[in-house]
Amino acid sequence: MTQTSTRPRRLSPAEVHARLGDPEAMVKDKKVDHIDEHFRFFIAHSPFLTLATADAAGRADCSPRGDYPGFVKVLDSHTLAIPDRPGNKIADSFRNLAENDGVGLLFLIPGMRETLRVNGRGYPTDEPDVLARMQTEASEPVLAIVVEVAEAYFHCGRSLIRSRLWDPASQALADEMPSVGEVTAAQMGTDIDPMVLTHALEESYRKLY
Amino acid sequence: MQQTIVGAIERVAEDVVSLVLKGATGPLAPWEPGAHIDLALPNWLTRQYSLCGDPADRESYRVAVRHDRLSRGGSEYIHRFLRQGRTLDVSLPRNHFPLLPAPEYLFLAGGIGITPILPMLRAAAASGVPASLVYMGQSRASMPFADELRSRYGDRVRIIATREQGRPDFAALAAALNPGAVVYACGPGPMLEAAEAAFPAGRLHAELFRPVARSFAPNTAFEAVCARSGQTVQVPADESLLDALTHAGYPVASGCREGVCGSCEIAVVDGEPEHRDAIGAPAGRMYACVSRALSPRLVVDL
Repeated sequence: MTQTSTRPRRLSPAEVHARLGDPEAMVKDKKVDHIDEHFRFFIAHSPFLTLATADAAGRADCSPRGDYPGFVKVLDSHTLAIPDRPGNKIADSFRNLAENDGVGLLFLIPGMRETLRVNGRGYPTDEPDVLARMQTEASEPVLAIVVEVAEAYFHCGRSLIRSRLWDPASQALADEMPSVGEVTAAQMGTDIDPMVLTHALEESYRKLY
Repeated sequence: MQQTIVGAIERVAEDVVSLVLKGATGPLAPWEPGAHIDLALPNWLTRQYSLCGDPADRESYRVAVRHDRLSRGGSEYIHRFLRQGRTLDVSLPRNHFPLLPAPEYLFLAGGIGITPILPMLRAAAASGVPASLVYMGQSRASMPFADELRSRYGDRVRIIATREQGRPDFAALAAALNPGAVVYACGPGPMLEAAEAAFPAGRLHAELFRPVARSFAPNTAFEAVCARSGQTVQVPADESLLDALTHAGYPVASGCREGVCGSCEIAVVDGEPEHRDAIGAPAGRMYACVSRALSPRLVVDL
């Protein structure tokens, strides 16, 4: 593919506003500054979220977090705790939080079109009473992220409707993808058998905690 | 599994609710005092609760659940999110704490440990066997069914709020025990340890909620030969037998994963299991969630 000689046009905030207009009053009002009983219910049934952070220079990062529904604990109506399960040990989120404590969370419930957004400030903890609530399969995480909630609101379901995210037929898309082994072998430029890489990844998936 | 419908959810003490689970498709499986069931909660967690209703009632089960301050999501779910009318899958009743015939019973219950004792006391009273209960808890308000027990059994029930009255003197209870009388105790670890210290081992039957912390030799890898399929499954040191079998495609049930509930019982054909469960596996059986092998090879009936 050829590189375009110019970047796509950048709009000013005023131009964006001119195109989108003002949000409806109801949309503004649905933001609350705490986790109410409805949001607590949502979090108790959510097995997955994305965690957005950024460093001091504004370099942003978004990482997936998942476990059994309710794996994120509501400590009180202004505080959440997210367990840090073993992942790839690229501690981008923690490095970012050390410089910039702003976090954005997007909670999903399989089958549900609306999502829950929670924004606030985060910091790492090793508080035993918090970690004890996150114990699974006789192991507990060594760290958790505490989120002090600044705002929480339901996000409407249009994007999930358009994307057919929960339509079982959509899962056929995954069959179109080359295997992770093939992608990794190509990206690393190695001549290792992609099957070996895929197998190694599958092996690592056997240990989830 | 049996399908039930959540009936009344009723607050029966501070931080304790009782749940009625009605059979969705006819009578529920029978049970004996001391039995428990697994509840498969909507948040994918499975939790064990003693049946505390009437075994003669085949239409519904009753359990009582304390909201654990450090809940990992089981008791919290039941207290905050479970709603009447929802369907809930429950296991067949299992009993690791059966009430054996005796000429006299002394029951000891601590807090929510009253649940398996309730049907035991009822059964003893119905059969005319002398029985008494010492029921302790931090405060009267935190003790479910205390008033009901007092009104039904009168002086045969002693209610002790330990914060005001201190702990009962188990040594004195043991000294006053009639010959032949048998003790059944259910409650938190420290209470059971005190009971074990006071009462002769052969006369005390105890049930724990959580496993006692014990130490074992470091895990070693072993192999599990599945006798029926002929397949050999490698169990690495950092993986449980249950997980290894599950990953190899064997559908072994699981529950607490702590060696307490007994869901993952499998039959051992050959080799020497290292039992790490808190139940006491019967001969030829083991609980795959925590137990491992003393021999390099176990042959299991799968």
